[in-house]
Amino acid sequence: MTTGLGRCPCESEAEEQGVTRRGFLAGAAALLAGTIASVLGAAGLSYFVSPAFEKEDENWIDVGRASELRTGAPVKVDYVARKRDAWVVTEKRSSVWLSNLGGGRFIAFDPRCTHLGCPYRWDQGKQEFLCPCHAGVFDREGKVLSGPPPRPLDRFPVKVVSGRLLIRPVDEKGAA
Amino acid sequence: MKRRCRAVGEWLRRRTGCDRVWETLFARHIPEAEGPTAWLYTLGSATLFIFVVQAVTGALLAMNYVPSPDHAYDSVRFINEKVLCGSFIHGLHHFGASFMVVLVVLHMLRVYFMGAYKYPREGTWMVGVVLLLVVIGFGFTGYLLPWDQKAYWATMVGTNIAGQTPFVGPLVSKILKGGGEMGASTLTRFYALHVLVLPAVVLLLIGIHLFLVVWHGISEPPERARRRGEGNPLG
Ligand code: HEM
Ligand code: HEM
Ligand code: FES
Repeated sequence: MTTGLGRCPCESEAEEQGVTRRGFLAGAAALLAGTIASVLGAAGLSYFVSPAFEKEDENWIDVGRASELRTGAPVKVDYVARKRDAWVVTEKRSSVWLSNLGGGRFIAFDPRCTHLGCPYRWDQGKQEFLCPCHAGVFDREGKVLSGPPPRPLDRFPVKVVSGRLLIRPVDEKGAA
Repeated sequence: MKRRCRAVGEWLRRRTGCDRVWETLFARHIPEAEGPTAWLYTLGSATLFIFVVQAVTGALLAMNYVPSPDHAYDSVRFINEKVLCGSFIHGLHHFGASFMVVLVVLHMLRVYFMGAYKYPREGTWMVGVVLLLVVIGFGFTGYLLPWDQKAYWATMVGTNIAGQTPFVGPLVSKILKGGGEMGASTLTRFYALHVLVLPAVVLLLIGIHLFLVVWHGISEPPERARRRGEGNPLG
């Protein structure tokens, strides 16, 4: 852009050597502005897009000592899940059916029936899970024995860490 | 490539007159000041720059900030501890706020001591006075937002001072606080003022202020006027 402002006569000499005072200052100003803009821009952009690179919170929940869970009848365990959502911590009461198959193998069942979500119970005499709503029946590994449930009982991931039994309750979509 | 660029520039110029706009705004004649005096003329632009930084960082902060007593403090902590670059962005806004007040006052002092508020620039000055109040308003309303002890008690003091005004004091204080006691509605009120009302007002005023600055041109330093025998502005 031409500026229309008068130029210092001394500039024409320097211009022949390639660097003018005006050109140098314009360059220096552009460099400074560029530095400031890129530092601010980079920080601002990282701030803005950082949610895309966040690690999912694994959210394992401690449901007791593994050794206290005896083989045999599955037991229903109530727990309180503390869930962090950014700056909000919510507590949700929930429960899980735990089954010790022996040999360090554990199963954690989602306590909702796979038909329409009713809470089922364990029938000790029949050694089966019974759902009261529409008479769904599952065996101790969660397989459907009869009734309308379309698939076996859902399971949560389980692991044992230094003697404690940890579960990770996930819904159908896999979100914790 | 270069020809292509020039063609696009020409196309724009014919339709928008952007070259005239550029010339009016940036190729104006400005006073031939030198040395420290010349630097004083940068204070207004510096204020403008910090305002832009505040607006950018403020918009980013607003993405994670919650103006509610049960989450405000935690959300600011979340920004500082969990968000990438969060403490940097918050820091810029925090220190920028103080810096902007300092700069605007320095800018006002330079205008005052150079007598730049005189005819025909009284309008620029008057808009400036309102700008000063709005900037202080930004600082006052923003200070409450982190909702920590400092924020809470500073605002308690501030609203109580307003409450000391003869006759209307208690009313003003109640309106500021959104009720008799400081609480949730104080926070939402200050938040709305800080991020909605004041930015709209300040943008309008800065627009008028800068229009007037360009319209009148920037005043010469007083020494030169004196040398020319146009009267002695320093009295
Ligand atoms: C957000 C706040 C403000 C911004 C962004 C701003 C911006 C500017 C800019 C960029 C200029 C050009 C010349 C210079 O920088 O010195 C200017 C001039 C001026 N400002 Fe401000 N200003 C602000 C607040 C104020 C305040 C608080 C006052 C006085 C109460 C004021 C009074 C003036 C006057 C009278 C001029 C004309 C000076 C001259 O022609 O030499 N401004 N302002
Ligand atoms: C124009 C757009 C602006 C927006 C959208 C904005 C937004 C925000 C938000 C969301 C907060 C709360 C987060 C926090 O406390 O860190 C905040 C805090 C604050 N703002 Fe702004 N702001 C703006 C401009 C300004 C300006 C111009 C000033 C000062 C003159 C200012 C001064 C403050 C202060 C002092 C705080 C408290 C910061 C702290 O120490 O935590 N803000 N702002
Ligand atoms: S909900 Fe369990 S059988 Fe229908």
